[in-house]
Amino acid sequence: MNELYESRILNLVIWSPMLFALLVAFLPKGEKGQIRTATFVGMLVNLWACAWAWSRFELHNADEFQLEYRMRWIDAAGISYHVGVDGLAIALVLLTGVLAPLVVLASWTYVDERVKEFHIALLVLQTAMLGALCSVDTLLFYVFFEAMLIPMYLLIGVWGAEERQMAAMKFFLYTLVGSLLMLVALLGVYFIAAPAGQRSFDYATLYNGLMAANRELSACLANNPTGPCEGLSGPAQALFTWGPWMFLAFSLAFAIKVPMWPVHTWLPDAHVQAPVAGSMVLAGVMLKMGTFGFWRFAIPLFPTAARQYQHLLALLAVIGIVYGAFMCLAQRDIKKLIAYSSVSHLGYCMLGMLAFTAEGATGSAYQMLNHGVSTGALFMLFGFLYERRHARLMSDYGGIAKVMPVFTAFFVIVTFSSIAVPGTNGFVGEFLVLLGSFKSNLPLAYSVAATTCVVFGAAYMLWMVQKVFFGKLVHQDNLGLSDLNRRETLAALPFIALIVLMGLKPQPILDVLETSTTRYLARAGYGTPDSNDDAVRVKVQPLPRPALVELAPGAPVGLEPVGQVANAQPQPRILRPRTPVPSAVQPIHPVMP
Amino acid sequence: MNDFLPLIPAATLVVGAIVLMLSEVFLASANRGYMVIVATLTSVVAAVAAFWNAFEPARSVLQGYAVLDPFSSFMTCMVCVGTALSGLVASSFLKHRNAERGEFYALVLFAAAGMSLLALSNEFITIFINLEVLSVATYSLTAYLRRGGRPAEAGFKYFILGAFSASLLLYGAALLYGATGVTKLDELERALPLAAATQPALVYVGFGLVLAGFAFKVAAVPFHMWTPDVYEGAPTPVTALMSAGVKSAAFVSLVRVFLAMKGALPPEVPYLLFAALALVTMVAGNLLAMPQRNVKRMLAYSSIAHAGYLLLGVAALFAPAGASAKAGVLAVTPLLGGTAVAAGDVYKGLLFYLLGYTVTTVGAFGCVAAIERREDETRTNTWDLERFAGLAQRQPGWAVAMAAFMLSLAGVPPTAGFIGKLFVFSAAVDAGLIGLAVAGVLASVAGTYYYLRVVVYMFMRPSPDEATAPFRHWTMDVALVTSAVAVVALGLLPGPVAQWLSRAGMMFGHF
Repeated sequence: MNELYESRILNLVIWSPMLFALLVAFLPKGEKGQIRTATFVGMLVNLWACAWAWSRFELHNADEFQLEYRMRWIDAAGISYHVGVDGLAIALVLLTGVLAPLVVLASWTYVDERVKEFHIALLVLQTAMLGALCSVDTLLFYVFFEAMLIPMYLLIGVWGAEERQMAAMKFFLYTLVGSLLMLVALLGVYFIAAPAGQRSFDYATLYNGLMAANRELSACLANNPTGPCEGLSGPAQALFTWGPWMFLAFSLAFAIKVPMWPVHTWLPDAHVQAPVAGSMVLAGVMLKMGTFGFWRFAIPLFPTAARQYQHLLALLAVIGIVYGAFMCLAQRDIKKLIAYSSVSHLGYCMLGMLAFTAEGATGSAYQMLNHGVSTGALFMLFGFLYERRHARLMSDYGGIAKVMPVFTAFFVIVTFSSIAVPGTNGFVGEFLVLLGSFKSNLPLAYSVAATTCVVFGAAYMLWMVQKVFFGKLVHQDNLGLSDLNRRETLAALPFIALIVLMGLKPQPILDVLETSTTRYLARAGYGTPDSNDDAVRVKVQPLPRPALVELAPGAPVGLEPVGQVANAQPQPRILRPRTPVPSAVQPIHPVMP
Repeated sequence: MNDFLPLIPAATLVVGAIVLMLSEVFLASANRGYMVIVATLTSVVAAVAAFWNAFEPARSVLQGYAVLDPFSSFMTCMVCVGTALSGLVASSFLKHRNAERGEFYALVLFAAAGMSLLALSNEFITIFINLEVLSVATYSLTAYLRRGGRPAEAGFKYFILGAFSASLLLYGAALLYGATGVTKLDELERALPLAAATQPALVYVGFGLVLAGFAFKVAAVPFHMWTPDVYEGAPTPVTALMSAGVKSAAFVSLVRVFLAMKGALPPEVPYLLFAALALVTMVAGNLLAMPQRNVKRMLAYSSIAHAGYLLLGVAALFAPAGASAKAGVLAVTPLLGGTAVAAGDVYKGLLFYLLGYTVTTVGAFGCVAAIERREDETRTNTWDLERFAGLAQRQPGWAVAMAAFMLSLAGVPPTAGFIGKLFVFSAAVDAGLIGLAVAGVLASVAGTYYYLRVVVYMFMRPSPDEATAPFRHWTMDVALVTSAVAVVALGLLPGPVAQWLSRAGMMFGHF
C-alpha cells in the first residue's frame, strides 16, 4: 500500500495546483477574496505534497530517481509520462513549494485587476515548473519547459509595468529560440541513442544509449585530441560529428534560461516589467531550470563535448559575474539592480558547476536554492515598497528606515544573505563554489576574478541599502509610508527563517544534494579511463502494459518484451511496440456491428 | 462491391449536397436552420465511413484508377472534419449576413467530395478531374458574397491562377503520357525509368510542370502569389475550408504522384527540389507574415509557412539514403550513416500535422469570422489586429480559444501543433535533414512572433471604445469549442490518434 502512495506522490505534487486552478476557474469573477484564499490554500496543499515527497526521499537509496511513476503516453513517438526526483530535483521541488504560498501572499493586494486569471496563471505555472523538475522523460521535460512560458508570458504581459508587452514578447522569443534548437538536438540524441524499434525519449534510454559511444569517443580523443577519429562505431561517429553541436544547442537553451552572459539581455527587462509575483517566480524557480538543465541534460549527455567547452562556458560564467556586478554598480533602478545581481549570482552557480569538483558542484546546487530564497525575498520586499510608492529609482527613496523600521530590518537581513555574509545561507554556497573553482583545473584567474566580485557584490548591495534606507528622508511622499502589515510580515518571515536556517545548519540539505552531485561528477567525467559505468548508469523503469491503446480499432501494436538495448550491458528488459503487420497480408478491420 | 468502398464518403457528400440543393428549390421556407444540420451530419457520416475504410487493407480499386489505402482514407476523414467545422462556422457567418442558402452548403460538400476523390485518385486524368471538381466549387464559394469588389476580385484571381496551375499540371501529365504512353500511376512507375533513359527531356519537363501545378495548389513559394489575396477576399469560412481541406488533399495527391515518379530520376533531383521548396516556403511564409496587421492576411501567409513545414516532411520522404553531395543547408547528413528513413513515420507525421493544422486553422479562421461584422465588409480595416484588442474582456471564451489556436500554429506544447511539428521534424532529423530542420525551427520562432502578437492584443490591450457586441449563434460556439478541445486534446493525448495514423504507413504501393 505504501508503494502505491509513494509512486503517486509526485503526481500529487505536480497536478494539485492544476486541480485548484480548475476550482478557481469555477469561482465567480468578482469574489476576489475567495479566489485569493482558494489559491493560497491550493499552494499550501501543494507545499504539503512537496514536503511529503521530501520526507519520503531516502538518502541511502542506491536508485538515482526515487518516487518514480511511469505511464504510457505517446507510444508512437517513444514518449512516456515518467516522473521521478533525484537529490537536486527534490530540493528544487521543495523550494518551489515553499515559494508558491509566499508569492500568493505577496501579491494579495498588489494585483487587483483580473484577479481570477492572475491566480489561474500562477497555479498553472506552478504545475508546469514542478512538472519540469520532476520529469525523467526528456520530452515530457521539454513540454513542461515550454508550457511554463505561456503563464509567465501572461503574468508579465498582463499584470506588468509600462513596457510589459515588449518585455513579455522578448522573454518568450528568447527562450523559444534556444529551446527549439534544443528540440532538434534532442531529436538527434533520440535517433543516435538507440536503434529503430527501441527508441524512447526516456532519460534512461538516452543516457545509457550514449554511454558506449561516449566512452569510445573520449578514448579516441584522449589519444588524439584534435581528431580525426577513425574506425568509430556508428553512434560514436555521430557523436563525434554532431556531439559538439548538440551540446551547444542544449547549452544555448539553458544558458538563455539561466541567463548567462551574453544571452542575458531579456532578464532585466522581464524582471523590471514583471509584477512582484512574476519576478519572484522568475528569479526563484524559473532561472533554476537553466542550471538544472545543464546539470541533468547538457553536461551528462555530452561529457566529452562538455569537457571541450568547459573553459569557454566557465569564461562566460565569469564574465557574467563581473559584468553583472559592474552593471549593478551603475544602476539607479532598484529592480534592475536586483535583476543584474541575479546575472552575477547565477554566474557563480555556473562556475561551480563547470569546475567539475565536488565542492564546486555541491556549492552550485546549494547556490541554486540560495538564490531562489534571497533573490525571491528581495523582489518580494521591494514589491512591498513599490506597492506603496510606485517608484523604482533609488533617488526616490532615502531614509526609509525611519518610517519602516521592520521592513528595513527584513531587507537588510536578506541583503546580507545576498552578499553572502557568514551565518547566512549565501555564505555556504558561495564559499563552496569558490573553493571548488580554486581546486579545479580552471585557470586561476577565473577564480580570482570571481572572488574579487564578491567584494563588488557587497559594495553594490550595501550602497543601495544605504541610499534607500538610511540618510535623511528627503521626499515628502515617503513620510507617510506605513510599515509592513501582518500579511506582509507573515510572507517575509519564512524567508528570514530559511536564510538563517540554511546558513547555520546546511548539512541536511547538503546531504540530499550530495546524492546527486556524486552522480553529476561521475557523469561529467565519464569516459576518462578511471570512470565507472555502474556509477552513472540510469536504472530503467519498465513501462506498464497498455490499457487504453488496445481500444483503438485495429490497433496494430501489441507489446512484447525485447531483450537488450544497444550496449551489451545487463539491462532490465524494456518493452517496445511490435512493428505493424502489413495490411495487405492480414487485413485488420474494426468490429462490424 | 468492395471496389466501391472508397467512394462511399464522396458519394455521401454528393448525396447530401444534392439534397441541400433540391431542398433550396422545393422547400421555399424562410427558415434555413436545418441546412447546417444536414451539411454537418453528412460530413460526419462521410467521416465515419472514411474512418472505417482506413482499416481496410490497402489495394488498388476501380481497375487501377483509384486506390483504397489508409493514407487517403484518413485524409478524407480529416477533410470531412474540416468541412463540418467550416460548415458550422459558415452558418453563423451567413445568418449574420442574411445570405444562408442551400447552394452554399452544397458547394462546400461538392468541394469536400472532390478532395476526398483527389486523395484516392491514382491516375492523372482522374486526378485532374477531381482537382477541378474541388477547384470549381471553391472558385464559386470564393465569390459567394457579392457585396463590394473584393469577392469578385478574389474569385477571379483564384479562377485565373487556379486554371493556369491546373493546365500546367495537365500539360505535365500529357508530356509524361507522351513519354510513357500511360496515365495510371502504378503503370507510370514501371514505365518511367525506361522513358527517362530514352526521352529525358520529356520526362524532366513533365516532372517540373506537374510539380509546379501542385506547388500552386499547396501554395508553396514561389507559387504562392494568389494565396493572400484570395484568402483575404473569400468569405472567412470558405478561407478556412481552403486552407485546411484543399491544401491537405493536394498534399496527399502530391505525395502519391511523386512517389510514383521518384524511381525514374536520380535520387537527388526530387529531394533537392522539395528541400529547396520547403526551405523557401518556410522562410518566406514566416517573414511575409510578420509585418501583417491584417489577421486574415497574416493567417494566409502563415498557411504558406505551414505548407513549408509539410514540404519538409515530404523532402524527408525523398531524402536519398546516405550522405549527399554538398548542398549547403539542404545537405543530407544521416546521423547514423546510410539507413533509409522509415516512410511510415513520415506519412504518420504528415497526416498528424495535417489533422492538427485542420482543426487549428478552421478554429482560427472561425474566430476571425466570429468577430468580423457585416457592415465592415467594404472597409479595409475589417481584420485589423485592433479588432482583437481586449477580446479577453469582451468574449473570454473566444479569446482563450483563439489563444489556443495561435499557440498551436506556433507549435508550443501542449497543443496539436506541437505534436505535429515534433513528428515532422523528427522524421526530418531521422532522414538527416539537419540543416533544413534547424532552418525550420528558426523560421517557426519568427512565426511565433506574429502569432503571439494576436495574443498580446487579445489579452494585453484595452478594448476599443466603439467595440460592439458581436453576432452570436450557437453553431459558431459549437465549432470553436470543438476545435479548441480538439487542439488541446490532440496535444495532450495524441496517443490513440497517432496509433491509428501509424497505419497510414500503408500507403498503397509504398510501404
